[in-house]
Amino acid sequence: MSERLLELTGVSGGYGDIQVLWGVDLAVNAGDMVCLIGSNGAGKSTLLRCISGLGVWSKGRIAFAGRDMSGRPAADIVAAGIVHVPEGRRLFRGMSVRDNLLMGAYARRDGAAAIRRDLEVVYGIFPRLAERTGQDASTLSGGEQQMCAIGRGIMAAPRLLMIDELSLGLAPRLVEELGEALIKINRTGVSILLVEQDVITALELASYGFVLDRGRIAIAGAARELMVNPLVTDAYLGATALAVS
Amino acid sequence: MLYLQVLINGILLGGLYSCIAVGFSLVWGVLNIINIMHGSLIILGAYAAYFAFTLLGINPFVFVPIAGVALFVLGYALQAGVINRVMGAPVLITLTLTFGLNLILENAMIFAFKADYRKVIIDPPLGLIEIGSAFVPRDRLYAMLLALLLVGGLYAVLRTTRIGRAIVAVRMDREAAALMGVNVPRIYAITFGLGALMAGSAGSLMSVIFPISPLTSVAFLGKAFVICVLGGLGSIPGVMVGGIALGVLESFGSLWLGPDYSTTIAFVLLLALLMFRPTGIMGKRGFE
Repeated sequence: MSERLLELTGVSGGYGDIQVLWGVDLAVNAGDMVCLIGSNGAGKSTLLRCISGLGVWSKGRIAFAGRDMSGRPAADIVAAGIVHVPEGRRLFRGMSVRDNLLMGAYARRDGAAAIRRDLEVVYGIFPRLAERTGQDASTLSGGEQQMCAIGRGIMAAPRLLMIDELSLGLAPRLVEELGEALIKINRTGVSILLVEQDVITALELASYGFVLDRGRIAIAGAARELMVNPLVTDAYLGATALAVS
Repeated sequence: MLYLQVLINGILLGGLYSCIAVGFSLVWGVLNIINIMHGSLIILGAYAAYFAFTLLGINPFVFVPIAGVALFVLGYALQAGVINRVMGAPVLITLTLTFGLNLILENAMIFAFKADYRKVIIDPPLGLIEIGSAFVPRDRLYAMLLALLLVGGLYAVLRTTRIGRAIVAVRMDREAAALMGVNVPRIYAITFGLGALMAGSAGSLMSVIFPISPLTSVAFLGKAFVICVLGGLGSIPGVMVGGIALGVLESFGSLWLGPDYSTTIAFVLLLALLMFRPTGIMGKRGFE
């Protein structure tokens, strides 16, 4: 049995008077790729913001590598090794691809040589970023922007990479390409928590999945089992699942 | 040849003006604060240079980095201790706050230094350089070159250093910057500190050229405002162009209409620009 890396116990949270999450339990083991699926508005992004310490109130326990991280500011979370690739990429406009990637390494303390080495690693995973290193990041295509956002996440040398809506607005071929990149990243020892509305993509990539429904974890299990679980297929896959099978 | 002389005067003045405005532009662009204190910070730098000169005999050109560092510390402390408390609030709140802080600083200076005009008089004078029939006063030339060096230095810091990148990132997307592990309130304090550093350095240079008094702070604030709008907010090359444009326009304005009108010209220009090109000459998003 591998080590628990991230463990959420009874996490509730929301914005101001509005409570979005109701006692969420979730865990990611070291080295795993886990997905969090659910429909629009289920609270997936809010859950990531709770973990990242980003403008959300939260209660309950968030433990990372055995340390209690509940209620810590965003900078501490990044320093601990949890890196959040936000929905909509949120690249820094007016800054080059390279400067965006270097911003990812902002909190690192292991020296310029290690950062340069990881820059080459990112360019190795996404050769298209190497071609566009000096280009304003806001002029990239949607797929390239997602590559840059993931690359920026890798530059932080994370132990856990949380990616919010990998596939949103991208062509299926690009999603496949990004998925392969995630598998490569995962093989280097980085655990991944993938948040997706596209249930099929998520369950194909991940080994374990959680289904979030109206702020509560409705179902959890191995991705292979979720793929054939009638509760999942009826609610989230619908006709698509029939077409696939 | 008179026009050449007026043009030279304008450019010399304009270089200093860019230095006056660049800190104001940075604070406005990154923190979204219209810093009413900016003029008083310039005057504070000028007084520091004046007293360093008259009491300790330190040349104001040499005093520039000292004034800069001292004002950086003051600016950092003000932002970290006071202004950061209202950063989430609408722009009117921060405007009111800096207005109040300015009243305190300005009146403290009137109390401490009196409202009399004072000027650093370098003896013997540095003299003039002759170009054909035009003259370039050395003190103004050195002040302009140092001013442009400072502005260029700030540009380089923002473009090439880790902290500089973080400042630009916070300007673009505060929340995404926080996700990179950036301590946003600290970056705010550093940015405000850099704005004050540029103000203090500019003030130190100005003490050689203009008579100073706490009452002149408003004039410098006004110029900084006009230059930012002229050059476009959020662009350092824009501030340089805006500063030199204002310097040249004021020089020719004084020639044709008399020196009393130089401020009027600046504000008429501001109004015209706001009507026809509200983004300024080089304005765009992104701190270049």
